[in-house]
Amino acid sequence: MSPTPRLATPKGGATPFDHRPELWAAFNRFYGTLWSEGVVDEPTKEVGRLRNARVTGCGICKNLRFDGARAAGLTEEHVAEIDDAYADSDLPARWKLAARWADQLINDPAGVDGELRAAMLAEFDSAQIVELTATVTTAIAFSKAAVAFGAPEDMPVLAVPTPSLD
Amino acid sequence: MTWLPERASGATPLDRVFGLRPEAYARFREMYAGLWDAAVIDPAVVELCRLRIATILGCDAERAIRYTDATEAGLTEDRITALPRWPNDPAFTTAERSAIEFAEQYVIDPHGLTDDHFAALHREFDEPALATLTLAVAMFDALTRMRLALDVEPIADDPTPVPGPRSYAGSLP
Repeated sequence: MSPTPRLATPKGGATPFDHRPELWAAFNRFYGTLWSEGVVDEPTKEVGRLRNARVTGCGICKNLRFDGARAAGLTEEHVAEIDDAYADSDLPARWKLAARWADQLINDPAGVDGELRAAMLAEFDSAQIVELTATVTTAIAFSKAAVAFGAPEDMPVLAVPTPSLD
Repeated sequence: MTWLPERASGATPLDRVFGLRPEAYARFREMYAGLWDAAVIDPAVVELCRLRIATILGCDAERAIRYTDATEAGLTEDRITALPRWPNDPAFTTAERSAIEFAEQYVIDPHGLTDDHFAALHREFDEPALATLTLAVAMFDALTRMRLALDVEPIADDPTPVPGPRSYAGSLP
């Protein structure tokens, strides 16, 4: 972690992005829509987000828990299984697929093969695939922002409200 | 062409895919337009970062787009052609080099960004510009990965001028 902020949070703000408050508000309306106005259940999206957080290595993102996903049944025992052996875990097949999709988006977004396409289409409809993809790719990009700004390597687990339009 | 069996209505390939979640897409466009505010950061810098990310990730759909916000700000096709040589080519300013280097490292491995990278950026950009640049690079990374994974086709085979997102509110190329 950088000893000094690489981009300081402005006075009265909550993040460095508050240097552009109207732009930051627009981002949060977008992300809140994906999470709270969505057509994919929250635990599935949360598995994708947390898989990215681990792969990208964001000490903040991997310790945040969106409370809507918790309320819908995603436990800390489940979260512990979103590690590199998730494919052999007891996680439901839908969540394993969300984690696999996150890995694909991180490592080789251009390399989605026919077998993975078929698996996605068997589990999700087209609108759900768009939403899951937009949610995870945004989470990827945002984890990188946290890392870029010098996020700590680790922190205690913290439950926060699911992003919303409120 | 996308492998998704359903399509939304829309003028562009991205409209027909992202538009399957119309509320999210509308809010994405609203946010995306805010990345291109010439009063905050030179649109040519933003466009150079977008195109560099498109090349790193291998996205023809992003590479085919030329936002006119940037060309009107002085970004020429010759400079875009020179973009792979940005570290040493005199076509690029110090500010552009620092932004492109940041974008490359961000996409490939953000853990490789250092205090020195940010010191260089702070010499060239004020804090609102740097916040905008970071969010722009983040969202270019995200949208490019989405285009690739869902096989969103390019709007054209060759580079095509498109009105900047700020004047193109109902759609994105």
